[in-house]
Amino acid sequence: MREAFSNALVRLALADSKVLLLTGDHGYSLFDEFRKRCPDQYINAGIAEQNMVGMAAGLARVGFRPFVYGLAAFVPIRTVEQIKLDIAHDDLPVVLLGDGAGFVYSHLGTSHQSTEDIACTRAIPHLQVLSPADRLEMTAVMDYAYATIGPVYLRMGKADLGDVHDGPISSLQQGRLLKVRDGRADRPGLIATGSMLRAAVDIATSLDLMVWSAPFLKPLNVDDVRSTAKATNGLVTLEEHSVLGGLGAAVSEITSEHQPTRVLRIGVPDRFSEHCGTHAYLLREHGLDIDSVRERVRAYCELLASNSIALA
Amino acid sequence: MASTIIDNSIIPFDPARMRRTVLEMAYAGSTVHIACAFSIIELLTVLYRHHLRYPGNDPRAEGRDYLVLSKGHGVMAQYACMHELGWLENSHIKNYFKDGTDLKGLSDSRVAGLEVTSGSLGHGFSVGVGIALGLKQKGTDQKVYAIVGDGELNEGPIWEGALVASHHKLENLMLIVDKNGFQAMGTTDDVLALGDLTAKLTSFGFETLEVDGHDEFVIDAAIRRLWESSPSKPKALIARTVKGKGVSFMESVNLWHYTRLNPQSFAEAISELGFSGTSK
Repeated sequence: MREAFSNALVRLALADSKVLLLTGDHGYSLFDEFRKRCPDQYINAGIAEQNMVGMAAGLARVGFRPFVYGLAAFVPIRTVEQIKLDIAHDDLPVVLLGDGAGFVYSHLGTSHQSTEDIACTRAIPHLQVLSPADRLEMTAVMDYAYATIGPVYLRMGKADLGDVHDGPISSLQQGRLLKVRDGRADRPGLIATGSMLRAAVDIATSLDLMVWSAPFLKPLNVDDVRSTAKATNGLVTLEEHSVLGGLGAAVSEITSEHQPTRVLRIGVPDRFSEHCGTHAYLLREHGLDIDSVRERVRAYCELLASNSIALA
Repeated sequence: MASTIIDNSIIPFDPARMRRTVLEMAYAGSTVHIACAFSIIELLTVLYRHHLRYPGNDPRAEGRDYLVLSKGHGVMAQYACMHELGWLENSHIKNYFKDGTDLKGLSDSRVAGLEVTSGSLGHGFSVGVGIALGLKQKGTDQKVYAIVGDGELNEGPIWEGALVASHHKLENLMLIVDKNGFQAMGTTDDVLALGDLTAKLTSFGFETLEVDGHDEFVIDAAIRRLWESSPSKPKALIARTVKGKGVSFMESVNLWHYTRLNPQSFAEAISELGFSGTSK
Protein backbone atom coordinates (compact mmCIF):
# COMPACT_ATOMS: atom_id res chain seq x y z
CA MET A 1 0.00 0.00 0.00
CA ARG A 2 2.88 2.37 0.77
CA GLU A 3 4.46 1.37 -2.51
CA ALA A 4 1.19 2.20 -4.27
CA PHE A 5 1.31 5.58 -2.55
CA SER A 6 4.90 6.24 -3.60
CA ASN A 7 4.24 5.06 -7.15
CA ALA A 8 1.22 7.32 -7.49
CA LEU A 9 3.12 10.30 -6.15
CA VAL A 10 6.04 9.76 -8.52
CA ARG A 11 3.68 9.27 -11.46
CA LEU A 12 1.76 12.48 -10.68
CA ALA A 13 4.95 14.47 -10.16
CA LEU A 14 6.52 13.24 -13.41
CA ALA A 15 3.37 14.19 -15.30
CA ASP A 16 3.02 17.65 -13.70
CA SER A 17 6.06 19.68 -12.68
CA LYS A 18 3.83 21.79 -10.43
CA VAL A 19 3.39 18.83 -8.09
CA LEU A 20 5.65 19.29 -5.07
CA LEU A 21 6.24 16.99 -2.16
CA LEU A 22 6.80 18.72 1.18
CA THR A 23 7.77 16.63 4.15
CA GLY A 24 8.33 17.53 7.76
CA ASP A 25 11.51 15.46 7.88
CA HIS A 26 9.58 12.20 7.72
CA GLY A 27 9.37 9.37 5.21
CA TYR A 28 12.98 8.24 5.17
CA SER A 29 12.86 5.30 2.76
CA LEU A 30 9.34 6.00 1.52
CA PHE A 31 10.52 8.84 -0.72
CA ASP A 32 13.70 7.29 -2.14
CA GLU A 33 12.12 6.85 -5.53
CA PHE A 34 10.59 10.34 -5.50
CA ARG A 35 13.87 11.97 -4.52
CA LYS A 36 15.70 10.07 -7.22
CA ARG A 37 13.27 10.82 -10.03
CA CYS A 38 11.88 14.24 -9.03
CA PRO A 39 14.62 15.88 -6.96
CA ASP A 40 13.54 19.42 -7.87
CA GLN A 41 10.02 18.75 -6.65
CA TYR A 42 11.06 17.52 -3.22
CA ILE A 43 11.22 19.90 -0.25
CA ASN A 44 12.18 18.77 3.22
CA ALA A 45 10.69 21.63 5.23
CA GLY A 46 12.37 20.50 8.42
CA ILE A 47 10.76 19.58 11.71
CA ALA A 48 8.50 22.61 11.45
CA GLU A 49 5.06 21.40 10.48
CA GLN A 50 3.12 24.60 11.10
CA ASN A 51 5.36 26.61 8.83
CA MET A 52 5.34 23.77 6.29
CA VAL A 53 1.55 23.83 5.98
CA GLY A 54 1.52 27.63 5.74
CA MET A 55 4.21 27.44 3.08
CA ALA A 56 2.19 24.91 1.15
CA ALA A 57 -0.63 27.47 1.06
CA GLY A 58 1.77 30.05 -0.34
CA LEU A 59 3.06 27.62 -2.97
CA ALA A 60 -0.51 26.75 -3.98
CA ARG A 61 -1.30 30.47 -4.27
CA VAL A 62 1.30 30.85 -7.00
CA GLY A 63 0.23 27.80 -8.98
CA PHE A 64 1.92 24.78 -7.42
CA ARG A 65 0.21 21.55 -6.33
CA PRO A 66 1.73 20.73 -2.95
CA PHE A 67 1.40 17.30 -1.35
CA VAL A 68 2.29 17.76 2.31
CA TYR A 69 3.46 14.67 4.15
CA GLY A 70 3.66 14.08 7.87
CA LEU A 71 2.56 11.65 10.48
CA ALA A 72 -1.16 12.05 11.13
CA ALA A 73 -0.30 13.10 14.66
CA PHE A 74 1.34 16.21 13.14
CA VAL A 75 -0.35 16.65 9.75
CA PRO A 76 -3.20 17.33 10.32
CA ILE A 77 -3.37 17.36 14.12
CA ARG A 78 -0.54 19.73 14.99
CA THR A 79 -1.45 21.99 12.08
CA VAL A 80 -5.24 22.10 12.22
CA GLU A 81 -5.32 25.89 12.38
CA GLN A 82 -3.01 26.32 9.39
CA ILE A 83 -5.17 23.87 7.45
CA LYS A 84 -8.31 25.77 8.37
CA LEU A 85 -7.06 29.30 7.83
CA ASP A 86 -4.25 29.13 5.28
CA ILE A 87 -5.56 26.33 3.04
CA ALA A 88 -9.22 25.40 3.43
CA HIS A 89 -10.50 28.96 3.80
CA ASP A 90 -9.42 29.69 0.23
CA ASP A 91 -10.08 26.25 -1.20
CA LEU A 92 -6.42 25.88 -2.17
CA PRO A 93 -5.33 22.68 -3.94
CA VAL A 94 -3.17 21.19 -1.22
CA VAL A 95 -3.18 17.48 -0.42
CA LEU A 96 -2.35 16.71 3.20
CA LEU A 97 -0.97 13.23 3.72
CA GLY A 98 -1.26 11.95 7.28
CA ASP A 99 0.66 8.71 7.65
CA GLY A 100 0.56 6.19 10.49
CA ALA A 101 -2.99 7.10 11.48
CA GLY A 102 -4.58 5.08 14.26
CA PHE A 103 -2.22 2.88 16.26
CA VAL A 104 0.47 2.26 13.64
CA TYR A 105 3.11 3.70 15.97
CA SER A 106 1.89 1.44 18.72
CA HIS A 107 5.13 1.24 20.68
CA LEU A 108 5.77 4.98 20.64
CA GLY A 109 2.77 6.01 22.67
CA THR A 110 0.24 8.82 22.50
CA SER A 111 2.56 11.35 20.84
CA HIS A 112 2.62 9.40 17.57
CA GLN A 113 -0.83 7.82 17.65
CA SER A 114 -3.74 9.53 15.95
CA THR A 115 -7.34 8.65 16.68
CA GLU A 116 -8.89 12.14 16.52
CA ASP A 117 -7.77 13.34 13.08
CA ILE A 118 -10.98 12.52 11.21
CA ALA A 119 -13.10 14.31 13.80
CA CYS A 120 -10.85 17.37 13.64
CA THR A 121 -10.74 17.59 9.86
CA ARG A 122 -14.35 16.73 9.04
CA ALA A 123 -15.60 20.00 10.53
CA ILE A 124 -13.33 22.17 8.37
CA PRO A 125 -15.28 23.60 5.42
CA HIS A 126 -14.05 22.81 1.87
CA LEU A 127 -11.75 20.05 3.15
CA GLN A 128 -12.40 16.55 1.81
CA VAL A 129 -11.33 13.62 3.96
CA LEU A 130 -10.20 10.37 2.31
CA SER A 131 -9.22 7.09 3.92
CA PRO A 132 -8.06 4.31 1.60
CA ALA A 133 -8.26 0.70 2.75
CA ASP A 134 -5.85 -1.09 0.45
CA ARG A 135 -3.39 -0.67 -2.41
CA LEU A 136 -6.13 -0.30 -4.98
CA GLU A 137 -8.05 2.32 -3.05
CA MET A 138 -4.78 4.15 -2.41
CA THR A 139 -4.06 4.48 -6.12
CA ALA A 140 -7.62 5.62 -6.76
CA VAL A 141 -7.70 8.23 -3.98
CA MET A 142 -4.31 9.66 -4.98
CA ASP A 143 -5.61 10.17 -8.52
CA TYR A 144 -8.80 11.65 -7.10
CA ALA A 145 -6.90 13.98 -4.75
CA TYR A 146 -4.82 15.32 -7.62
CA ALA A 147 -7.78 15.72 -9.95
CA THR A 148 -10.06 17.42 -7.46
CA ILE A 149 -8.08 20.71 -7.27
CA GLY A 150 -9.05 21.60 -3.74
CA PRO A 151 -7.98 20.84 -0.19
CA VAL A 152 -7.82 17.16 0.71
CA TYR A 153 -6.78 15.27 3.81
CA LEU A 154 -5.66 11.77 2.90
CA ARG A 155 -5.50 9.50 5.94
CA MET A 156 -3.00 6.66 5.73
CA GLY A 157 -3.32 3.98 8.39
CA LYS A 158 -2.04 0.44 8.86
CA ALA A 159 -0.85 -0.42 5.39
CA ASP A 160 0.21 -4.07 5.30
CA LEU A 161 -3.11 -5.87 5.62
CA GLY A 162 -3.36 -6.98 2.00
CA ASP A 163 -5.82 -6.14 -0.75
CA VAL A 164 -9.57 -6.30 -0.27
CA HIS A 165 -10.65 -5.28 -3.75
CA ASP A 166 -10.18 -7.70 -6.63
CA GLY A 167 -8.85 -5.25 -9.17
CA PRO A 168 -8.22 -1.59 -9.93
CA ILE A 169 -10.98 0.84 -8.93
CA SER A 170 -11.67 2.51 -12.22
CA SER A 171 -14.04 5.29 -11.30
CA LEU A 172 -13.86 6.57 -7.78
CA GLN A 173 -16.69 9.06 -7.42
CA GLN A 174 -16.84 11.75 -4.79
CA GLY A 175 -18.43 10.59 -1.57
CA ARG A 176 -19.49 7.19 -2.86
CA LEU A 177 -19.32 3.97 -0.89
CA LEU A 178 -17.79 0.92 -2.54
CA LYS A 179 -19.75 -2.29 -2.12
CA VAL A 180 -17.31 -5.04 -1.23
CA ARG A 181 -19.51 -7.97 -0.31
CA ASP A 182 -23.15 -9.01 -0.54
CA GLY A 183 -24.89 -10.72 2.34
CA ARG A 184 -28.15 -11.20 4.24
CA ALA A 185 -30.63 -8.35 4.22
CA ASP A 186 -32.14 -9.34 7.57
CA ARG A 187 -28.85 -8.77 9.34
CA PRO A 188 -26.84 -5.58 9.91
CA GLY A 189 -24.57 -4.32 7.15
CA LEU A 190 -20.98 -3.28 7.80
CA ILE A 191 -19.45 0.02 6.66
CA ALA A 192 -15.72 0.15 7.28
CA THR A 193 -12.94 2.56 6.44
CA GLY A 194 -9.19 2.20 6.10
CA SER A 195 -7.49 -0.51 8.11
CA MET A 196 -10.76 -1.91 9.50
CA LEU A 197 -12.09 -3.00 6.10
CA ARG A 198 -10.00 -6.18 6.18
CA ALA A 199 -11.53 -7.25 9.52
CA ALA A 200 -15.01 -6.26 8.34
CA VAL A 201 -14.76 -8.54 5.32
CA ASP A 202 -13.46 -11.46 7.39
CA ILE A 203 -16.24 -11.10 9.96
CA ALA A 204 -18.90 -10.63 7.28
CA THR A 205 -17.79 -13.81 5.55
CA SER A 206 -18.47 -15.91 8.64
CA LEU A 207 -21.79 -14.16 9.44
CA ASP A 208 -22.88 -13.57 5.83
CA LEU A 209 -23.20 -9.78 6.08
CA MET A 210 -23.08 -7.05 3.47
CA VAL A 211 -19.94 -4.87 3.50
CA TRP A 212 -19.20 -1.44 2.09
CA SER A 213 -15.90 0.41 2.11
CA ALA A 214 -15.91 4.14 2.82
CA PRO A 215 -12.87 5.68 1.11
CA PHE A 216 -14.54 9.07 1.64
CA LEU A 217 -15.26 10.28 5.14
CA LYS A 218 -16.21 13.68 3.79
CA PRO A 219 -18.20 14.19 1.78
CA LEU A 220 -20.21 11.05 2.31
CA ASN A 221 -22.92 10.41 -0.24
CA VAL A 222 -26.31 10.69 1.43
CA ASP A 223 -28.11 8.42 -1.05
CA ASP A 224 -25.48 5.70 -0.67
CA VAL A 225 -25.77 5.68 3.11
CA ARG A 226 -29.55 5.76 2.89
CA SER A 227 -29.41 2.79 0.52
CA THR A 228 -27.23 0.77 2.88
CA ALA A 229 -29.71 1.46 5.69
CA LYS A 230 -32.60 0.40 3.49
CA ALA A 231 -30.86 -2.75 2.27
CA THR A 232 -29.99 -4.08 5.74
CA ASN A 233 -31.36 -4.54 9.22
CA GLY A 234 -29.20 -2.01 11.08
CA LEU A 235 -25.64 -0.85 10.41
CA VAL A 236 -22.23 -1.32 12.01
CA THR A 237 -19.42 1.15 11.34
CA LEU A 238 -15.78 0.15 11.82
CA GLU A 239 -12.81 2.49 12.04
CA GLU A 240 -9.40 2.74 13.70
CA HIS A 241 -10.37 6.15 15.06
CA SER A 242 -12.34 7.53 17.96
CA VAL A 243 -16.00 6.58 18.05
CA LEU A 244 -16.57 10.33 18.28
CA GLY A 245 -16.59 12.37 15.11
CA GLY A 246 -15.38 9.79 12.61
CA LEU A 247 -17.07 7.37 10.21
CA GLY A 248 -19.64 6.26 12.79
CA ALA A 249 -20.63 9.84 13.40
CA ALA A 250 -20.78 10.65 9.69
CA VAL A 251 -23.02 7.66 8.98
CA SER A 252 -25.23 8.38 12.01
CA GLU A 253 -25.63 12.02 10.98
CA ILE A 254 -27.08 10.85 7.67
CA THR A 255 -29.20 7.97 8.88
CA SER A 256 -30.73 9.94 11.75
CA GLU A 257 -31.98 12.53 9.31
CA HIS A 258 -32.67 10.53 6.15
CA GLN A 259 -33.18 6.85 6.99
CA PRO A 260 -33.40 6.18 10.72
CA THR A 261 -31.87 2.86 11.65
CA ARG A 262 -29.78 1.50 14.49
CA VAL A 263 -26.06 2.14 14.09
CA LEU A 264 -23.42 0.37 16.16
CA ARG A 265 -20.25 2.47 16.10
CA ILE A 266 -17.15 0.34 16.53
CA GLY A 267 -14.00 2.36 16.98
CA VAL A 268 -11.60 3.58 19.60
CA PRO A 269 -13.29 4.35 22.92
CA ASP A 270 -12.93 7.94 24.15
CA ARG A 271 -9.59 7.42 25.85
CA PHE A 272 -5.84 7.28 25.18
CA SER A 273 -3.89 4.02 24.90
CA GLU A 274 -2.58 2.87 28.24
CA HIS A 275 0.12 0.40 27.38
CA CYS A 276 3.02 -0.25 25.06
CA GLY A 277 2.79 -3.11 22.59
CA THR A 278 2.31 -4.20 19.01
CA HIS A 279 -0.41 -2.83 16.76
CA ALA A 280 -2.35 -6.05 17.35
CA TYR A 281 -1.92 -5.61 21.10
CA LEU A 282 -3.31 -2.08 21.06
CA LEU A 283 -6.26 -3.13 18.93
CA ARG A 284 -7.05 -5.67 21.66
CA GLU A 285 -6.63 -3.04 24.35
CA HIS A 286 -9.30 -0.96 22.63
CA GLY A 287 -11.55 -3.88 21.70
CA LEU A 288 -10.79 -3.53 17.99
CA ASP A 289 -9.11 -6.91 17.41
CA ILE A 290 -11.01 -9.22 15.10
CA ASP A 291 -12.24 -11.58 17.85
CA SER A 292 -13.66 -8.78 19.96
CA VAL A 293 -15.25 -7.09 16.97
CA ARG A 294 -16.73 -10.38 15.70
CA GLU A 295 -18.26 -11.01 19.09
CA ARG A 296 -19.80 -7.53 19.23
CA VAL A 297 -21.17 -7.83 15.70
CA ARG A 298 -22.57 -11.33 16.43
CA ALA A 299 -24.27 -10.08 19.60
CA TYR A 300 -25.63 -7.13 17.65
CA CYS A 301 -27.06 -9.48 15.02
CA GLU A 302 -28.87 -11.37 17.78
CA LEU A 303 -30.11 -8.18 19.41
CA LEU A 304 -31.53 -6.86 16.15
CA ALA A 305 -33.07 -10.24 15.33
CA SER A 306 -34.82 -10.43 18.71
CA ASN A 307 -35.96 -6.80 18.36
CA SER A 308 -37.48 -7.65 14.99
CA ILE A 309 -39.34 -10.59 16.53
CA ALA A 310 -40.51 -8.44 19.41
CA LEU A 311 -41.75 -5.77 16.98
CA ALA A 312 -43.49 -8.36 14.82
CA MET B 1 16.64 48.53 -9.15
CA ALA B 2 14.52 49.24 -12.22
CA SER B 3 11.96 46.64 -11.29
CA THR B 4 10.87 48.65 -8.26
CA ILE B 5 9.81 51.70 -10.29
CA ILE B 6 6.07 51.85 -10.71
CA ASP B 7 3.25 54.14 -11.75
CA ASN B 8 1.80 54.50 -8.30
CA SER B 9 4.41 57.15 -7.46
CA ILE B 10 1.95 59.65 -8.93
CA ILE B 11 -0.65 58.66 -6.32
CA PRO B 12 0.07 60.69 -3.19
CA PHE B 13 -0.73 58.15 -0.44
CA ASP B 14 -0.57 61.04 2.00
CA PRO B 15 -0.08 59.54 5.47
CA ALA B 16 -2.37 62.05 7.17
CA ARG B 17 -5.13 61.25 4.73
CA MET B 18 -4.59 57.52 5.20
CA ARG B 19 -4.96 58.04 8.95
CA ARG B 20 -8.13 60.04 8.40
CA THR B 21 -9.57 57.13 6.38
CA VAL B 22 -8.68 54.73 9.20
CA LEU B 23 -10.44 57.01 11.69
CA GLU B 24 -13.48 57.27 9.46
CA MET B 25 -13.70 53.49 9.16
CA ALA B 26 -13.14 52.92 12.85
CA TYR B 27 -15.74 55.53 13.73
CA ALA B 28 -18.26 54.23 11.19
CA GLY B 29 -17.80 50.66 12.39
CA SER B 30 -17.34 51.54 16.05
CA THR B 31 -14.31 49.29 16.03
CA VAL B 32 -10.89 48.88 17.59
CA HIS B 33 -7.25 48.34 16.52
CA ILE B 34 -6.81 51.96 15.44
CA ALA B 35 -3.35 52.16 17.02
CA CYS B 36 -2.27 48.91 15.32
CA ALA B 37 -3.13 50.47 11.95
CA PHE B 38 -1.47 53.81 12.68
CA SER B 39 1.95 52.30 13.35
CA ILE B 40 2.24 50.86 9.81
CA ILE B 41 0.86 53.79 7.80
CA GLU B 42 4.21 55.06 6.47
CA LEU B 43 5.44 51.52 5.78
CA LEU B 44 2.39 50.97 3.60
CA THR B 45 2.43 54.35 1.87
CA VAL B 46 6.05 53.83 0.83
CA LEU B 47 5.41 50.27 -0.32
CA TYR B 48 2.32 51.16 -2.35
CA ARG B 49 3.77 54.38 -3.74
CA HIS B 50 7.22 53.15 -4.73
CA HIS B 51 7.57 49.39 -4.60
CA LEU B 52 4.52 47.17 -5.03
CA ARG B 53 3.78 46.39 -8.65
CA TYR B 54 0.24 45.52 -9.71
CA PRO B 55 0.10 45.13 -13.50
CA GLY B 56 -2.99 46.91 -14.79
CA ASN B 57 -3.72 48.14 -11.25
CA ASP B 58 -5.26 44.70 -10.74
CA PRO B 59 -4.92 43.49 -7.14
CA ARG B 60 -5.04 39.91 -8.39
CA ALA B 61 -2.75 40.28 -11.42
CA GLU B 62 -0.68 37.14 -11.82
CA GLY B 63 2.59 39.04 -12.07
CA ARG B 64 2.04 41.20 -8.98
CA ASP B 65 4.24 41.64 -5.99
CA TYR B 66 2.76 40.24 -2.80
CA LEU B 67 2.07 42.27 0.31
CA VAL B 68 1.26 39.84 3.09
CA LEU B 69 -0.17 41.55 6.15
CA SER B 70 0.66 38.91 8.71
CA LYS B 71 -0.35 41.25 11.54
CA GLY B 72 -3.95 41.32 10.39
CA HIS B 73 -4.86 43.78 13.13
CA GLY B 74 -3.45 46.62 11.03
CA VAL B 75 -5.81 45.93 8.15
CA MET B 76 -7.54 49.33 8.26
CA ALA B 77 -4.26 50.93 7.17
CA GLN B 78 -4.26 48.63 4.17
CA TYR B 79 -7.90 49.40 3.42
CA ALA B 80 -6.98 53.10 3.38
CA CYS B 81 -4.28 52.47 0.76
CA MET B 82 -6.57 50.20 -1.25
CA HIS B 83 -9.14 53.01 -1.20
CA GLU B 84 -6.46 55.36 -2.53
CA LEU B 85 -5.81 52.90 -5.38
CA GLY B 86 -9.49 52.80 -6.25
CA TRP B 87 -9.85 49.17 -5.18
CA LEU B 88 -12.30 50.17 -2.48
CA GLU B 89 -15.20 52.60 -2.84
CA ASN B 90 -16.25 55.38 -0.48
CA SER B 91 -19.16 53.15 0.47
CA HIS B 92 -16.70 50.57 1.83
CA ILE B 93 -15.39 53.20 4.22
CA LYS B 94 -18.81 54.53 5.18
CA ASN B 95 -20.38 51.10 5.67
CA TYR B 96 -17.51 49.43 7.53
CA PHE B 97 -18.80 46.67 9.82
CA LYS B 98 -22.37 46.96 8.56
CA ASP B 99 -24.19 43.62 8.39
CA GLY B 100 -23.54 41.74 5.16
CA THR B 101 -20.44 43.72 4.10
CA ASP B 102 -17.11 42.21 3.06
CA LEU B 103 -14.42 44.11 4.93
CA LYS B 104 -13.68 42.54 8.28
CA GLY B 105 -11.74 43.67 11.31
CA LEU B 106 -8.80 41.45 10.36
CA SER B 107 -7.25 40.61 6.99
CA ASP B 108 -9.39 38.26 4.89
CA SER B 109 -7.91 36.91 1.66
CA ARG B 110 -11.27 36.83 -0.07
CA VAL B 111 -10.98 40.61 -0.41
CA ALA B 112 -9.01 41.42 -3.57
CA GLY B 113 -5.88 43.20 -2.41
CA LEU B 114 -5.47 41.21 0.80
CA GLU B 115 -3.28 38.16 0.28
CA VAL B 116 -3.84 36.19 3.46
CA THR B 117 -6.38 35.58 6.16
CA SER B 118 -4.61 36.66 9.30
CA GLY B 119 -5.21 37.96 12.76
CA SER B 120 -4.50 34.62 14.21
CA LEU B 121 -0.84 35.51 14.38
CA GLY B 122 2.14 33.69 12.94
CA HIS B 123 0.33 32.51 9.81
CA GLY B 124 0.97 35.13 7.15
CA PHE B 125 4.73 35.00 7.24
CA SER B 126 4.78 31.24 6.53
CA VAL B 127 2.41 31.74 3.62
CA GLY B 128 4.69 34.52 2.39
CA VAL B 129 7.68 32.19 2.62
CA GLY B 130 5.79 29.68 0.48
CA ILE B 131 4.86 32.34 -2.08
CA ALA B 132 8.48 33.50 -2.25
CA LEU B 133 9.73 29.92 -2.64
CA GLY B 134 7.21 29.31 -5.42
CA LEU B 135 8.09 32.55 -7.26
CA LYS B 136 11.78 31.75 -6.97
CA GLN B 137 11.17 28.28 -8.35
CA LYS B 138 9.25 29.85 -11.25
CA GLY B 139 12.12 32.26 -11.87
CA THR B 140 10.06 35.46 -11.81
CA ASP B 141 11.32 38.79 -10.44
CA GLN B 142 8.24 39.29 -8.25
CA LYS B 143 8.80 40.29 -4.65
CA VAL B 144 7.11 39.33 -1.42
CA TYR B 145 6.77 41.66 1.55
CA ALA B 146 5.48 40.27 4.83
CA ILE B 147 4.58 42.71 7.60
CA VAL B 148 4.62 41.20 11.07
CA GLY B 149 4.11 42.86 14.41
CA ASP B 150 6.83 42.70 17.04
CA GLY B 151 4.30 41.08 19.37
CA GLU B 152 3.61 38.55 16.63
CA LEU B 153 7.24 37.47 16.88
CA ASN B 154 6.17 35.51 19.98
CA GLU B 155 4.71 32.96 17.57
CA GLY B 156 6.89 29.92 16.82
CA PRO B 157 6.05 29.50 13.12
CA ILE B 158 7.65 32.90 12.41
CA TRP B 159 11.00 31.48 13.43
CA GLU B 160 10.37 28.22 11.58
CA GLY B 161 9.69 30.34 8.50
CA ALA B 162 12.82 32.41 9.11
CA LEU B 163 14.95 29.26 9.07
CA VAL B 164 13.34 28.09 5.86
CA ALA B 165 13.65 31.51 4.16
CA SER B 166 17.33 31.56 4.89
CA HIS B 167 17.94 27.90 4.03
CA HIS B 168 16.28 28.33 0.63
CA LYS B 169 18.02 31.68 0.02
CA LEU B 170 14.78 33.55 -0.58
CA GLU B 171 16.29 36.84 -1.72
CA ASN B 172 12.86 37.84 -3.08
CA LEU B 173 11.36 37.96 0.42
CA MET B 174 11.35 40.93 2.78
CA LEU B 175 10.20 40.54 6.36
CA ILE B 176 9.07 43.90 7.75
CA VAL B 177 8.76 44.11 11.51
CA ASP B 178 6.43 46.77 12.87
CA LYS B 179 8.39 47.30 16.04
CA ASN B 180 5.98 49.48 17.98
CA GLY B 181 7.01 47.97 21.30
CA PHE B 182 3.53 46.93 22.33
CA GLN B 183 1.36 43.87 22.20
CA ALA B 184 -2.16 43.33 23.45
CA MET B 185 -1.48 43.27 27.18
CA GLY B 186 1.54 45.52 27.52
CA THR B 187 4.99 46.32 26.19
CA THR B 188 6.85 43.60 24.35
CA ASP B 189 9.64 43.99 26.91
CA ASP B 190 7.25 43.25 29.77
CA VAL B 191 5.30 40.44 28.11
CA LEU B 192 8.01 38.47 26.31
CA ALA B 193 11.20 40.36 25.62
CA LEU B 194 12.60 40.05 22.11
CA GLY B 195 16.14 41.04 22.94
CA ASP B 196 18.34 42.29 20.12
CA LEU B 197 16.10 41.75 17.14
CA THR B 198 18.64 42.89 14.57
CA ALA B 199 21.15 40.40 15.94
CA LYS B 200 18.53 37.66 16.02
CA LEU B 201 17.41 38.11 12.43
CA THR B 202 20.98 38.59 11.22
CA SER B 203 21.96 35.35 12.90
CA PHE B 204 19.02 33.68 11.16
CA GLY B 205 20.65 34.67 7.86
CA PHE B 206 18.67 37.81 7.00
CA GLU B 207 20.18 40.96 5.56
CA THR B 208 18.80 43.32 8.18
CA LEU B 209 18.32 47.08 8.53
CA GLU B 210 16.63 49.00 11.32
CA VAL B 211 15.02 52.35 10.55
CA ASP B 212 12.59 54.98 11.79
CA GLY B 213 9.32 53.44 10.61
CA HIS B 214 7.61 56.79 10.20
CA ASP B 215 10.21 58.52 8.01
CA GLU B 216 9.08 57.76 4.48
CA PHE B 217 12.36 58.83 2.88
CA VAL B 218 14.37 56.61 5.18
CA ILE B 219 12.02 53.63 4.74
CA ASP B 220 12.18 53.94 0.96
CA ALA B 221 15.96 54.16 0.97
CA ALA B 222 16.27 51.15 3.29
CA ILE B 223 14.00 49.00 1.14
CA ARG B 224 16.04 49.87 -1.95
CA ARG B 225 19.28 49.20 -0.11
CA LEU B 226 18.03 45.83 1.09
CA TRP B 227 17.00 44.72 -2.39
CA GLU B 228 20.39 45.76 -3.69
CA SER B 229 22.22 43.99 -0.87
CA SER B 230 23.69 40.53 -0.86
CA PRO B 231 21.87 38.21 -3.20
CA SER B 232 20.83 34.83 -1.84
CA LYS B 233 19.72 36.24 1.52
CA PRO B 234 16.21 37.07 2.65
CA LYS B 235 15.78 40.68 3.81
CA ALA B 236 14.48 42.09 7.06
CA LEU B 237 13.45 45.66 7.70
CA ILE B 238 12.96 46.43 11.35
CA ALA B 239 10.82 49.54 11.55
CA ARG B 240 10.84 51.40 14.85
CA THR B 241 7.31 52.71 15.07
CA VAL B 242 4.93 54.32 17.51
CA LYS B 243 1.70 52.51 18.22
CA GLY B 244 -1.06 55.04 17.57
CA LYS B 245 1.31 57.36 15.64
CA GLY B 246 -0.24 60.58 14.36
CA VAL B 247 -2.75 61.38 17.08
CA SER B 248 -1.12 62.59 20.30
CA PHE B 249 -3.55 61.04 22.74
CA MET B 250 -3.22 57.64 21.06
CA GLU B 251 0.57 57.53 20.73
CA SER B 252 2.07 54.73 22.83
CA VAL B 253 -1.18 54.49 24.78
CA ASN B 254 -1.96 50.81 24.50
CA LEU B 255 -5.61 51.38 25.40
CA TRP B 256 -6.04 52.38 21.76
CA HIS B 257 -5.53 48.74 20.83
CA TYR B 258 -9.03 48.29 22.25
CA THR B 259 -10.69 51.70 22.53
CA ARG B 260 -13.53 52.83 20.29
CA LEU B 261 -13.96 56.39 19.13
CA ASN B 262 -16.74 58.60 20.43
CA PRO B 263 -17.90 61.79 18.70
CA GLN B 264 -15.50 63.90 20.72
CA SER B 265 -12.36 61.75 20.38
CA PHE B 266 -13.14 61.29 16.69
CA ALA B 267 -13.40 65.05 16.11
CA GLU B 268 -10.23 65.71 18.10
CA ALA B 269 -8.27 63.05 16.23
CA ILE B 270 -9.41 64.33 12.84
CA SER B 271 -8.48 67.84 13.84
CA GLU B 272 -5.02 66.76 15.04
CA LEU B 273 -4.35 65.29 11.62
CA GLY B 274 -4.90 68.78 10.23
CA PHE B 275 -8.35 68.31 8.78
CA SER B 276 -11.34 70.47 9.55
CA GLY B 277 -13.84 67.67 8.92
CA THR B 278 -14.30 64.26 7.41
CA SER B 279 -13.73 63.57 3.73
CA LYS B 280 -17.29 62.84 2.80
